[in-house]
Amino acid sequence: MRKQFHSIRFIEEKCIGCVTCIRACPTKAIRVINGKARVNYERCIDCGECFRVCPHDAISSETTSYADVEKFDCTIALPSPVLYSQFGHDVMPNQILLALKKIGFDYVFDEAWDCELTTDALQEYLDQSEGPFPKISITCPVVVRLITMLYPNLVKNLVKLEIPRESAAKKFRQKASKSWEIPPEKIGVLHITPCPAKMISINHPVGLKQSNLDGAIAISDIYGRLLEALKDLEEDVILQLSSGIGIAWAISGGEIMGIRQENCLAVSGVQDVIRVLNDVEAGRLNDIVFLECLICPDGCIGGSLTVQNRHQARRKVRRLIKMFGEQTRVSREMVFRLYQEGYFCLQEEILPNPLPPLDSDPGKAIQKLKQRNEILKKLPGKNCSACGSPDCQTLAEDIVLGQASIDDCIFLTFKKFNQKV
Amino acid sequence: MAADNILTQQYLIKGWDFTRAGEASCDVKNTLKQIGISQDVIRRVAIASYEAEMNVVMYARKGKMKCEIDTIRIKITIEDEGPGIKDINLAMQEGFSTATPEMREMGFGAGMGLPNIKRNSDSFHISSVVGRGTKLEMLFHL
Repeated sequence: MRKQFHSIRFIEEKCIGCVTCIRACPTKAIRVINGKARVNYERCIDCGECFRVCPHDAISSETTSYADVEKFDCTIALPSPVLYSQFGHDVMPNQILLALKKIGFDYVFDEAWDCELTTDALQEYLDQSEGPFPKISITCPVVVRLITMLYPNLVKNLVKLEIPRESAAKKFRQKASKSWEIPPEKIGVLHITPCPAKMISINHPVGLKQSNLDGAIAISDIYGRLLEALKDLEEDVILQLSSGIGIAWAISGGEIMGIRQENCLAVSGVQDVIRVLNDVEAGRLNDIVFLECLICPDGCIGGSLTVQNRHQARRKVRRLIKMFGEQTRVSREMVFRLYQEGYFCLQEEILPNPLPPLDSDPGKAIQKLKQRNEILKKLPGKNCSACGSPDCQTLAEDIVLGQASIDDCIFLTFKKFNQKV
Repeated sequence: MAADNILTQQYLIKGWDFTRAGEASCDVKNTLKQIGISQDVIRRVAIASYEAEMNVVMYARKGKMKCEIDTIRIKITIEDEGPGIKDINLAMQEGFSTATPEMREMGFGAGMGLPNIKRNSDSFHISSVVGRGTKLEMLFHL
């Protein structure tokens, strides 16, 4: 149950043990041991904060390589709406979809359209739901992992609707297989992703047995090719179906834009998400019906595999929303019918996967915490991280667990040394 | 239970310190998670201790929160120096609130406070002296 796939990798040769990453990690999953950063993957939620801050390029993220496109008889690209925000002011979504085709994907579908379908399904779901509230979005795989690990009480608040990239992948694989008479397994359905975390929802999905996607290609990996392809597009067909409602999913607040209820809340950025989940757990947000949580700052446009800075990207998304309107192009009747048929239904229940306590015996865990408090009194409280743990309290815990020594504290060691001299 | 089997955590709470409000109850919650207390108890402690902490922040000058944990129960005591409660029976009624419009604007004071604490704890005791302060005790059985 606890074993999970992770998209973050540390490159030992490049790591100088500088502690920048251990201080950035919101779940305190990283330590510097013998001069190298080591991750306790049991605590890692794949938020990518370490990847963002590493000054030595010693952390990489695993996504599907563009070369893998060759492995399939036929390929389908499903670009995140974020892709539309990555190019110049006048480059329109349809051109970007055509460029994807031109660089080698056999079929390209507008995933923003499926986001738009899901907006309406979410409306239906919220209308029918009897709580507990707030319902929390499952679009961001990191948020789902954060909740199952650190907020197991809130697992029952998670929205039980399939996410757009999964429902789209299922639909288009079936359609393509039928229309072009290709066995479904020979078709590669690939998401074009702004963040490495999408790989965890592909390799270790929650709410479904197996992902409908075959992989996720980083926006940054194909950006150069797309720029080249955009220069002289010959083909001219309409591939973009979405309005601003679907495109808005690229930014924080996008999922709630098309929702009728006023008491919805959108939060982005890892620290703010943690803060708001603490509020939910304290019973403070019971009047909120729907909570959109995205781990990257400003939403998916803040993903670590994007190219454009997120402020520019946000401006572009706003422009596209204005251009394509806030009136959904989806037929309510069709969504209602699909909803009744179970098209949006999650296949499996999402289960809590809480972090193990300090000891499996609560009595022993209490003793360990008491020891921790005693050790903490001796430590200087400077939270300098020089010992290799992110802060003094975590060092004290590591000592109790036998994973560190009090001599790791340079302040105490220096004091001892001075006394001897 | 012998004292050496009890884990005691103490917190100081400052009146009107809205920026740090909720930190004490959040730390209590995280401690319970590290011990491996059941999710249902954690949920109830989180709600009750947060409400109690916020009462101190909103109404009192300052207060102390003490959390004592052993393997059979959790006891949380909150004592404050503040205006006290004139009519405890009235304050314990569902929906009663003395929150100012500003507090309501921030999402507090829906009249949930004391009854909500009582509802979520297994046993609850309150005493108060007007002009001196209020003391709350709540117990959670494991």
